[in-house]
Amino acid sequence: MRIKFFLSVSVIILGLAAGIYFFRPHTFHGTVIQSPERSFDFTLTSAQGDVSPSDFRGKIVLLYFGYTFCPDVCPGTLGNVAQALRDLGAKADEVQLIMVSLDPERDTPEKLAEYMDHFHPSFIGVTGSKEQLDEVASLYGVYYQKTEGSSATGYLIDHTATLLVLDREGYLKLVFPFGVTAKEIADDLKYMLRQ
Amino acid sequence: MSKTFFNAVYIFAAILILSVFAFKVFQPIQVLPRMRLAPAFQFTDQDNQPLTSETLRGQFVLYSFTYTHCPAPCYNMTETIKEIQSRLGEVDLGGIPVSFVTISIDPDRDTPEVLKVYGESIGADFTQWKFATTSNKGLLKTIVGAGFETYYEDKGGGNITFDPGYVLVDGWGVVRSEYRYSTEVSDADRILRHLGVLAEEVRNSTGSSKLAYEAAHLFLCYAP
Repeated sequence: MRIKFFLSVSVIILGLAAGIYFFRPHTFHGTVIQSPERSFDFTLTSAQGDVSPSDFRGKIVLLYFGYTFCPDVCPGTLGNVAQALRDLGAKADEVQLIMVSLDPERDTPEKLAEYMDHFHPSFIGVTGSKEQLDEVASLYGVYYQKTEGSSATGYLIDHTATLLVLDREGYLKLVFPFGVTAKEIADDLKYMLRQ
Repeated sequence: MSKTFFNAVYIFAAILILSVFAFKVFQPIQVLPRMRLAPAFQFTDQDNQPLTSETLRGQFVLYSFTYTHCPAPCYNMTETIKEIQSRLGEVDLGGIPVSFVTISIDPDRDTPEVLKVYGESIGADFTQWKFATTSNKGLLKTIVGAGFETYYEDKGGGNITFDPGYVLVDGWGVVRSEYRYSTEVSDADRILRHLGVLAEEVRNSTGSSKLAYEAAHLFLCYAP
């Protein structure tokens, strides 16, 4: 009787441990935001016309702020997102990346389209007036400032390098810091796509 | 399956459910919600130096809003901030710096020089307490109105109506609490307690403790 009891307890403990492991809550790599309000919606211009995050309700929207002359930070992050989307396979169709240019002087919609296409065919680049970009960047917590570059690069733009994730309903859900890897992005996106 | 096995299953299931229930009810860990991203900005401080949201990263920042020509009896945030500043030693901040930023909603009259005189008149310690202004009135409205969700309106004749309050932002630039209404506990006491809660979360933001803290967010174990 006693052996039977201990065997039962052992089986249950093992089962529970396995259950906790397989059904443990997902630990996000980004910082989770619990905003009760939809994130700020805006309309900026792409080579294909006006674009707003709300155009993609039902999809997960990744928002990134950068510029095409960006020497290292932007290509690194965009490359990681492109790799993450390839890891998602067919599910990548349910994710849309929008890069808001912080360089309205040099980044035309056409130039942005060409640049974004180097990373992934679905990526969209948008721009607008300085006033529009100031507003959008500020409300997404993105600071940016023109700084001196070299004669080869021209001026540079220092900017907050976070990658923001809006859920299918348009709520800001995650903030990835600069340096997040393709695998970490893919892990969190896969979890969100299952929701 | 034997009866013993099912009894053991029931006992473990009950323990599991009770544990979750106890976590929710007793809230052994308390957190502040991550409400939204704080707006980014570049202001000028009372010493004519740039003050940006980026330079404040890594600190807990308590934002407040006012204008120096606010006629008496204007909402008095001075005593609250001075009390918090003097009592910061009561809180274990784990070395995380705390800053106070008072943003003027009257950029026409509140130049850096005016803000400096104002700050000196109320005995502000400028090493920790900055007064900010900008010449970009449109962007100021975006930052304060939409970003910090603090209403203000120029009524003409030098009068500005506004909803006074404080906004607490963590080192990642996330709004963690707002103080807009008086409660039985004073604003200073609540803000000091919340600074302690934030510091505690930062200290436990790695390893297995992180899981428990994320669970506290999940179960809405919010500090009052």
